[in-house]
Amino acid sequence: MNRNERSAFGVQRSGEPEHAAVPGSQESLVQIEPKKLTLAEIRAKLANQKGKKFWRSVDELADSSEFAELVNKEFPSQASEWIDPVSRRGFLKVMGASMALAGLAGCTKQPDEPIYPYVTAPPDLTLGKPVYFASAFPFTTGAVPVLIKSAAYRPIKVDGNPEHPYVRGGSDPITQATLLDMYDPDRSQHILYRGETRNWASFLAAFRSMLADKKPAGGQGLYFLSATVTSPTLAAQWQQAQKNYPHAKFVQYDPANRDSHYRASQQAFGQFVDAQYRLDQADVIVSLDADFLGGAQFPGFHKLARDYAQKRKLDGTDQMNRLYVIETVTTTTGFKADHRLAVKPSQIAAFAQALAGAVGGGGSSAGNWSDHDAKYLQGVAADLKANGGKCVVIPGEFAPPEVHLAAFAINQALGNVGKTVVYTDPVNPMPSIQCDDLKALVADMNAGKVEWLVILNANPLYSAPADLDFESAFNKVNTVVHLGSHWDETGQQAHWHINNAHYLEMWSDARAYDGTVSIVQPMIDPMYGGHSAHEILQSMLDNPDVSAYDAVRATWLGNGGLLSKGDAEFNWRKALHDGWIDGTAFAPKTVAPKGGLATSAGTAAASGVEVVFRPDAHVYDGRYANLGWMQEIPRPVTNLSWDNAAQMSFATMEKNGLAENDAVEISVGGKKIIGGALAVPGLPDDVVVVTLGQGRRIGRVAGGVGYNGYLIQQSGAPWMLAGASLRKTGDIYDICVTKSHHIDQRSVAHGGDGSGTHSIEGNESLDRGIIRYTTLTEYKKDPEFAHEGVARWTPEPNESMFPAYRYDKNAWGMSIDLNSCIGCNACVTACFAENNIPVVGREQVKIGRLMQWIRIDTYFEGDLAAPRAHFQPMTCHQCENAPCEQVCPVGATVHSPEGLNLMVYNRCVGTRYCSNNCPYKVRRFNFLLYSDYETESLKLMRNPEVSVRSRGVMEKCSYCSQRIEAVKIEADKDNRDIRDGEIRTACQQACPTDAIIFGNINDKTSRVAKIKTNERTYGVLADINTRPRTTYVAGVLNINEPLAQELGEYSS
Amino acid sequence: MPQIFDRSSNALARMSLILTGLIVISLGLTLDEVQRSPWVTRQGQRADQPVPFSHKHHVEGLGLQCQYCHTTVEKSSYAGIPPTKTCMNCHAQIWTNAQLLEPVRQSWATGASIPWTRVHDLPDYVFFNHEIHVNKGIGCSSCHGRVDEMPIMYMQNSLQMEWCLNCHRNPEKNLRPTSEIYNMAWQGASELRPVWCAAEDVPAGSPTAGGVTCTEENPKMNGGVQMASLSRPPTGLHAQAGGTAIGSEDTNPIQLPAGVHYTEFTSQQALGQFLEKHYDIRNPRELTSCEVCHR
Repeated sequence: MNRNERSAFGVQRSGEPEHAAVPGSQESLVQIEPKKLTLAEIRAKLANQKGKKFWRSVDELADSSEFAELVNKEFPSQASEWIDPVSRRGFLKVMGASMALAGLAGCTKQPDEPIYPYVTAPPDLTLGKPVYFASAFPFTTGAVPVLIKSAAYRPIKVDGNPEHPYVRGGSDPITQATLLDMYDPDRSQHILYRGETRNWASFLAAFRSMLADKKPAGGQGLYFLSATVTSPTLAAQWQQAQKNYPHAKFVQYDPANRDSHYRASQQAFGQFVDAQYRLDQADVIVSLDADFLGGAQFPGFHKLARDYAQKRKLDGTDQMNRLYVIETVTTTTGFKADHRLAVKPSQIAAFAQALAGAVGGGGSSAGNWSDHDAKYLQGVAADLKANGGKCVVIPGEFAPPEVHLAAFAINQALGNVGKTVVYTDPVNPMPSIQCDDLKALVADMNAGKVEWLVILNANPLYSAPADLDFESAFNKVNTVVHLGSHWDETGQQAHWHINNAHYLEMWSDARAYDGTVSIVQPMIDPMYGGHSAHEILQSMLDNPDVSAYDAVRATWLGNGGLLSKGDAEFNWRKALHDGWIDGTAFAPKTVAPKGGLATSAGTAAASGVEVVFRPDAHVYDGRYANLGWMQEIPRPVTNLSWDNAAQMSFATMEKNGLAENDAVEISVGGKKIIGGALAVPGLPDDVVVVTLGQGRRIGRVAGGVGYNGYLIQQSGAPWMLAGASLRKTGDIYDICVTKSHHIDQRSVAHGGDGSGTHSIEGNESLDRGIIRYTTLTEYKKDPEFAHEGVARWTPEPNESMFPAYRYDKNAWGMSIDLNSCIGCNACVTACFAENNIPVVGREQVKIGRLMQWIRIDTYFEGDLAAPRAHFQPMTCHQCENAPCEQVCPVGATVHSPEGLNLMVYNRCVGTRYCSNNCPYKVRRFNFLLYSDYETESLKLMRNPEVSVRSRGVMEKCSYCSQRIEAVKIEADKDNRDIRDGEIRTACQQACPTDAIIFGNINDKTSRVAKIKTNERTYGVLADINTRPRTTYVAGVLNINEPLAQELGEYSS
Repeated sequence: MPQIFDRSSNALARMSLILTGLIVISLGLTLDEVQRSPWVTRQGQRADQPVPFSHKHHVEGLGLQCQYCHTTVEKSSYAGIPPTKTCMNCHAQIWTNAQLLEPVRQSWATGASIPWTRVHDLPDYVFFNHEIHVNKGIGCSSCHGRVDEMPIMYMQNSLQMEWCLNCHRNPEKNLRPTSEIYNMAWQGASELRPVWCAAEDVPAGSPTAGGVTCTEENPKMNGGVQMASLSRPPTGLHAQAGGTAIGSEDTNPIQLPAGVHYTEFTSQQALGQFLEKHYDIRNPRELTSCEVCHR
């Protein structure tokens, strides 16, 4: 890849903001002249910078007038303007009335409030005290063991089970958001037959009469299409049913399936195995397109992330692991890498094989590599060979099978198997090559062989690859039954639709990726009387009326069941209480790859553009598209919110004459879709990334968001298509991306440059020491690196005109380890759930009113095409010298004796002075009535310990003061001090890598106090004497120095 | 041209200026008073309830203990409104045909809740917690008044923020021994009604009040210091109002060390300060921090 070939390209933003048509608001709009800036100019700018250079967006890099305009305002574009369609006259009329009533408004009487006590109270219930239950969230890649907080038997928070050996309390955004999934007001509430409401009995009658008909023929013509099964009981039920109906067929299909891995596993081992990676044993990790730090989408994510981070904490050791990532799309894993290489999707298999060849795992290391890539390959190979048995190569789920074969071979050759790699039985009790099975099913449907098709929690009419033309095959089936949580694309076409019970409403069981079995127990009676797949399969058996509960018990307590030994009932209760069954983790299997690598090194130099498909980081394959949290929280890397885009590199964009926000038509294999062009740093050239899961046709949240990538997906090669072409349609697709809005507006007298055009985060993040990092070698030489240089000093506590506060007993503080943060958004989602944070919607996000109390700031550094990135969770710093407190005219934000910057909503009158004065821009203003006061189901979900804010108030992180207060009350009742670790904030609890530590900094033995004495700890903007209570632990990279020298990286 | 306004208009003009000022001030004062008036706070008002439940009859007349119905007052933020079952425990046997109790029987028969109207209703942005108050020596009557003398429930105090702060700024004014929490008639220590308290050292982590014993009977009258332990002074939250134990099976005899020393308190201020120290009450600076009640 020759990087000098790129020439000029334009950076342009859509000419007209969305609200230009709103009457009465013209004068307030920011009209921005598009600024053209060439790639050469940007690079020249980069080259002129001394040392490291950080940037947040291309606009900022360009220092364009547009960017100056953007950051010159407290919130970007129209966030602080009145843009509602109210005329000046109408406004005055309304205001006149308000003025007249203003004095009386405070005297409004509270309405009478009724109390509805129980008729008979549940014996174990203490109203006002939450109860916790262990369960598991069954997910395609294996269950996530969870601990569910239940208030008056309503689940209100889902977190990882802290005692579970696999997950250890961490979670991920999707697991957190399954709570909203249960309370989703769009969930299907009825059983429908051709659109009319029916009951369960009438479905059973129809189903059983069909079964009676088909019994003599052994179930010929009966097909099941199910989402991936991770429940041993469901598998057992099917295997029993198969005995009764030997010709019935059960097909599993999920769009984000594990076909690549299983194909390779079949070829190499002759059987299906799962690979578990023990990163706690690995010093060198090589990811071949594996986004293993991306989220639950990657099998075993929670343990991988924890083990990875544990070896980067430098906690009493100076040893770190080293991560190489070779990838085809830009992921958080890639940005955490010490050395990252972007390769084209068509090249990844060849690269993997070349790597195998280079380390002696067979295959040839020859290849047509550029000088840079060849050096990288040699450097990785050398490091791997030097660390045989202490290294691991992880292949990506969506990489071709050849990559997996190469990884098997490398791990075998380097003696990693049994040490850092363990092969086990698959989590899925009925593993299969899902794409092939789906194709066979469609062929049978087209041939008229399928009479009854029972779809269990799948949505093939939306998500089947386009070339299968599932819809026309679907129409040839006599009767289709759809079990699903929503009356979705498939449900609406199916004859029968059965509303599914959510996992928080039903009995089941599931295996975590390490094999440990958890019992899924219901937290609440099914809200809409839903049914589960267990019930449908059970109705085919000899004892059709056995409930899911009895079926699960039979699996584990029945003959030979693991829990049946000894006191079975006690074992059962213990399993429910603990959240897992002891001794069910998989034992390592001894398998060796046979044969060599696949010889077909798919290096066919593809012409045209390559399209890469990936499930979305939040909405996954589309099943979570109706969750406002998942849509709204900006995706890692791209900051996309409420959208998916045609992601491409800057050079690709320029080559095709595109600018950001241009609508672009992607055509491949005769099929076309249109999406907005978005430049993403770090993507290889001539590649377009299409994220799946958007473009749904149903749902008040999902409907109409983004475009549907499945419309060009092909079953033969679901993750990459070559030979695509891009065409600019001429329209504007206004992509929703959250932007910079954190501005340093100090005058020259106060240390700024007076221009008001620099964000504190980009241009100045180096000067101001926002992000501080170094390499391991430099760190050993100079442990104090985080405190040396300009703007890296911290003023003494008494250097202030304000008297210092006293903190007699507790002083809450937080520490965030930048080495451990993987930018996965689990903390952000947890904060939404814990603090009743409202979803504001696409339009409001676009104008900068996103209501996140904690956000993950991503700082890019270096070259546009091959940047490095740093993730920094940013939330209220609870400054001891808080700028916000001093400017509030009504005392709505005040200092607590324990050092919290309190926000008293009922005092706030909405002047927003505080957010103007906040250097961290972590105060979020509730501009409109964002909280949903109407929808009944959402009321049940809210945390009763936190106010639901109305409009006109400032909101911000409070270090979860409700949790602090609850623990303080418990400690006060016992007349004791609060124990270290007793209070955990929601973000801390959710973090899969333990990056966030919270506690009492007055207690010198607490974890947080200890880590604050670490020399790497620094406060962001501490030099302006805010004395932040949240501090960061500076990052340390473990670079391969010879390789870095070869590649010319880290030359500064 | 003759003058339109006579010279006397000057006086009128001055008067009207003053009058306007007075009107503005009095309007402000009026609104201030209205805001605090029972019309707004509902202090002292009897809400329409489906059943005219009399606390006076049940507490004073029959001697029911508060926690018989409000079961979670010691262990949760929410004291608890009794389920219909609690009513039916007795009313399945007595007053089975009373017209007044028809809604209770209806509820029991149909399974629908009795729709009470909330009497003590805090705004939704206030997070009050019963357990910490009850465990730290604030009695029911300090906030709710003489419930045992209320035929129909009403709000004794305004429950406005200034009223809360009165106590959070000076908790000693209302602290009482935890043995007296449910004593509706408790009036605090005074010259006429002194209170004797003894404290012993307890290890940190023991429940509140574990080491404090108080009595309204002079322990020295029964033979002096040494006899104090034998007289089994009531202790703990389960002790009955009025200073006598419900029964020996309910309260374990407290084995006080022989040398325990009782101090006599003749003013609420002194007693409050003693309890503040031994109950480990947070100081007013912490108690008036906003996040204590607002989140």
